[in-house]
Amino acid sequence: MTRNAVEWERKPPLPTTHYVHPAIYTDEAIFGEEQEKIWSKVWYLACHESELPEANDFRTYRHPAGKNLLVARGEDGKMRTFYNVCPHRGNTIVYTPAGNARHITCIFHSWAFNTKGDCIEITREKQGYGDRLNKKDYSLREVRTEVGFGGFVYVNLDDNAGPLAEFVGRALDGMLKCLEAEPLEVFHYHQAVVSTNYKFWHDTNSEFYHDYMHYHNRQTSMLQPSYWEREYVPFPNGHAQVGDQVVKYEAYEGFKGRTLSFPGLEQNGWKMVDLFPAFTYNLRGSALRIDTVLPLGPTKTIIEYRGLGLKRDTSEERGQRIRDYNSIWGPFGRNLHEDLMGVMGQGRAIGRGQTYLLHGREEQNKIHDEIGMRHFYAEWSRRMGRPASDPYATAGAAS
Amino acid sequence: MSGDASSAIEQQVRNLIYKGCLLLDQNDFKGWLDLCAPEFHYTISAYSPEIRREMTWLDHDHEGMSSLIHMLPKHNSDLTPLTRHASVYTIEHDPAAKEARVVTSVTIFSTSLDGGASELYAVGRYHDTVDLAGPAPRLKRRVVRLETRSLGIGKHWPL
Repeated sequence: MTRNAVEWERKPPLPTTHYVHPAIYTDEAIFGEEQEKIWSKVWYLACHESELPEANDFRTYRHPAGKNLLVARGEDGKMRTFYNVCPHRGNTIVYTPAGNARHITCIFHSWAFNTKGDCIEITREKQGYGDRLNKKDYSLREVRTEVGFGGFVYVNLDDNAGPLAEFVGRALDGMLKCLEAEPLEVFHYHQAVVSTNYKFWHDTNSEFYHDYMHYHNRQTSMLQPSYWEREYVPFPNGHAQVGDQVVKYEAYEGFKGRTLSFPGLEQNGWKMVDLFPAFTYNLRGSALRIDTVLPLGPTKTIIEYRGLGLKRDTSEERGQRIRDYNSIWGPFGRNLHEDLMGVMGQGRAIGRGQTYLLHGREEQNKIHDEIGMRHFYAEWSRRMGRPASDPYATAGAAS
Repeated sequence: MSGDASSAIEQQVRNLIYKGCLLLDQNDFKGWLDLCAPEFHYTISAYSPEIRREMTWLDHDHEGMSSLIHMLPKHNSDLTPLTRHASVYTIEHDPAAKEARVVTSVTIFSTSLDGGASELYAVGRYHDTVDLAGPAPRLKRRVVRLETRSLGIGKHWPL
């Protein structure tokens, strides 16, 4: 039986932890609050150390809190991150996404900086400023940077934040030996710009009920008995681990089992961890995939995809990992396009009739339980100071 | 080889490239694959300035492409049609090897099913090796070299 307007907008007969209000995906003010209360306070993955292998390598990064950052490897080998903003007249210092420069020079007035962030040159400093201003006081704004959990460069805009290990806690323990046994190396990077909210993407990574969308996963995973034993394990700070599985790739016509793996990973094994506020470690057979998001607004998101192998791969091994990765997760892969269709569809429905979104499946934390999303929104609600089911803290229908 | 014979071969090669585009536009992927030699190999590649590496985004031999095409109906796919505008830039005929190497500029547009608005989807080049040994030219190798690296939600189809 269909529903009328009142019935459509009625709150579900579920605990308030088991549904969310659609406005959390659409409201500009809520998005701004997320930037302030979440994105400005958390450790977030900016890039991988293999993207800056040499001294004086740099990589630009658009932080979800709205800051343009510059990650640089100093001549001392240390990774540092700065605002990519010249302290003189606010120009963007580095325009290209990556490169190498012993001295980073602003094109505007040629103020120059080293990769430790020191200002090393103010053109005609004495002539213009006399003793009123000194270059040593005009270094770049540095932000907290740590490298860990597989060689990933994490940044935090909050100078007073606790260490990275405290934020991640034990969430990555289940795959740590795979991530840290040997150096990793990025072989793939692409972006998908989608008119949707970043949380829709993370929601998709946080639940497996949508495997019905993927013919590949239905054949290679859902039809395997071990699939139904996978279990979500929530961790503090909103992180959640998905239970491991061995995948039967050859069940998909034209595919073969993975000949390569990662240290400590069972052949054709699959491990996955979703980290708050929106990134995912997805270790599948022969490749590690890392998803991060760059929200441009409440209804537009850049999703970054990185694929990694082992730094010591031979060219044949690397070629195999690349084929395996892109057969499923590349822009032409079997699964990624379908996942993106899903969140694109949610994005199209934003503000056009969506009602409360259900996160109510309970199956003893097994694979189709929606505990992953509920756990995420519990943390979201804690940081935002009110429940995701009622972000306006008013009683009544969805608005 | 006489000038006339050389011109005739070049025209056949151009026809092959353009016919392939028409078939791809029609989503007749099987028909397109019929234009390819048994040893056909297909690759989509791009360079990433972000990680400063060459990337391979799709890489299949004839059997792999045949399987990909065969499995398409099983998948959820965005059905927004693509239209290719191709311009053959250069044809290098190698009579000894009985093949030709072809570089074609390709611009791909998407047109929304709902409303019919067209927009640019991708730009790049086809780097082809055409087999001239048989009665008709066939594609032996295609590398789709993309300049565009942001492809929205992606595609399940060959470009």
